[in-house]
Amino acid sequence: MKVNIVTRILEANERLAEQNKALFKESGVFVLNIMSSPGAGKTTFIEATIKALEARGLRVAVIEGDIQGTSDAERIGALGVPVVQINTGGACHLDANMVREALPDLPLAGIGLLIIENVGNLVCPAEFNVGEDAKVMLLSIAEGDDKPLKYPLMFQESRALIINKMDLKPYLDVDVGKIRKDSLSLNPSLNIFEVSARNGDGIGQWVEWLAGYIDKNS
Amino acid sequence: MHEASIMQSVFEIALGKLEGSGYERVDSISLRIGRATGVVSDALKFAFEALKPGTPFYGAALVIDEVPVGGVCLSCGEDFSTDERFVFQCPACAGSRLDITRGRELDLTGMEVS
Ligand SMILES: Nc1nc2c(ncn2[C@@H]2O[C@H](COP(=O)(O)OP(=O)(O)OP(=O)(O)O)[C@@H](O)[C@H]2O)c(=O)[nH]1
Ligand SMILES: [Mg+2]
Ligand SMILES: [Zn+2]
Ligand SMILES: [Zn+2]
Repeated sequence: MKVNIVTRILEANERLAEQNKALFKESGVFVLNIMSSPGAGKTTFIEATIKALEARGLRVAVIEGDIQGTSDAERIGALGVPVVQINTGGACHLDANMVREALPDLPLAGIGLLIIENVGNLVCPAEFNVGEDAKVMLLSIAEGDDKPLKYPLMFQESRALIINKMDLKPYLDVDVGKIRKDSLSLNPSLNIFEVSARNGDGIGQWVEWLAGYIDKNS
Repeated sequence: MHEASIMQSVFEIALGKLEGSGYERVDSISLRIGRATGVVSDALKFAFEALKPGTPFYGAALVIDEVPVGGVCLSCGEDFSTDERFVFQCPACAGSRLDITRGRELDLTGMEVS
């Protein structure tokens, strides 16, 4: 017998993402989902962001998504910030259920911002909502200026693009203007920040924008 | 990239439909996969073959309908499709205001049971 069913395959994930989102709203927590390829500088960028935000009195917590290991969570924990490590055990992205299971270990009531570091991967994290208010894409200039056109979905789905490792620019022949132009053609409302997570350049502008964005959207 | 977890979700949805239907086996599963999703049909088929032994899907066939990226140009009204995973410009007038309506599908569209 033929059964005609039209169901979105990721429906279960979408449902859980909505539940997470409702819980975040209720707790007054704004949530960022940070995506990039492995080693682009997510953890370093999150460290720099936390330092800048704490100076403004915003309490931050972090969920670290990695295929395995706890080194990223240890780096964040060293800043005195609540952090939970999710090990996906091979899966190339975080999904809403993994985030849901991590939430009981976080003091949601005491924080204003939850930063989720997704698994390093330029392809699929964009497909799986986890209940975030905004996706943030991070691209390091060492990866080359052709990435927006090769991995369009991540750029399309993001609210902000962080162009990281700007301190390496003198050593690379990357065209940052092309990264900007191609990203904006994929997503005209993208907010772009050029930073060096290592030396702190540009972090002030990013955090300024983020604080305003949180105010407007919560 | 995550074709195995996509296929896992397909199995879960299909099992849910099979349960309580009075049928025991799934003979075929049909999916509609948009090209913009980056989900690779061959990898889906591989995951399907790997996951089906010992399940009600063991004898099932997988049918995949790949949907090209496409939409409508807001400048000239052209209804276009492309082989690329993304379009920037209307192929007719080169306009950049586009309403992309196809290519993001990730749907289970039907199954046959017996
Ligand atoms: N020069 C330079 N190096 C950086 C910058 N940001 C990060 N790095 C270095 O890049 C490497 C990777 O940084 P991480 O922050 O661990 O990158 P990640 O994206 O979290 O990596 P995964 O979690 O493994 O995907 C480290 O050696 C960092 O010190 C930067 O702005 N400039
Ligand atoms: Mg990291
Ligand atoms: Zn994945
Ligand atoms: Zn046109």
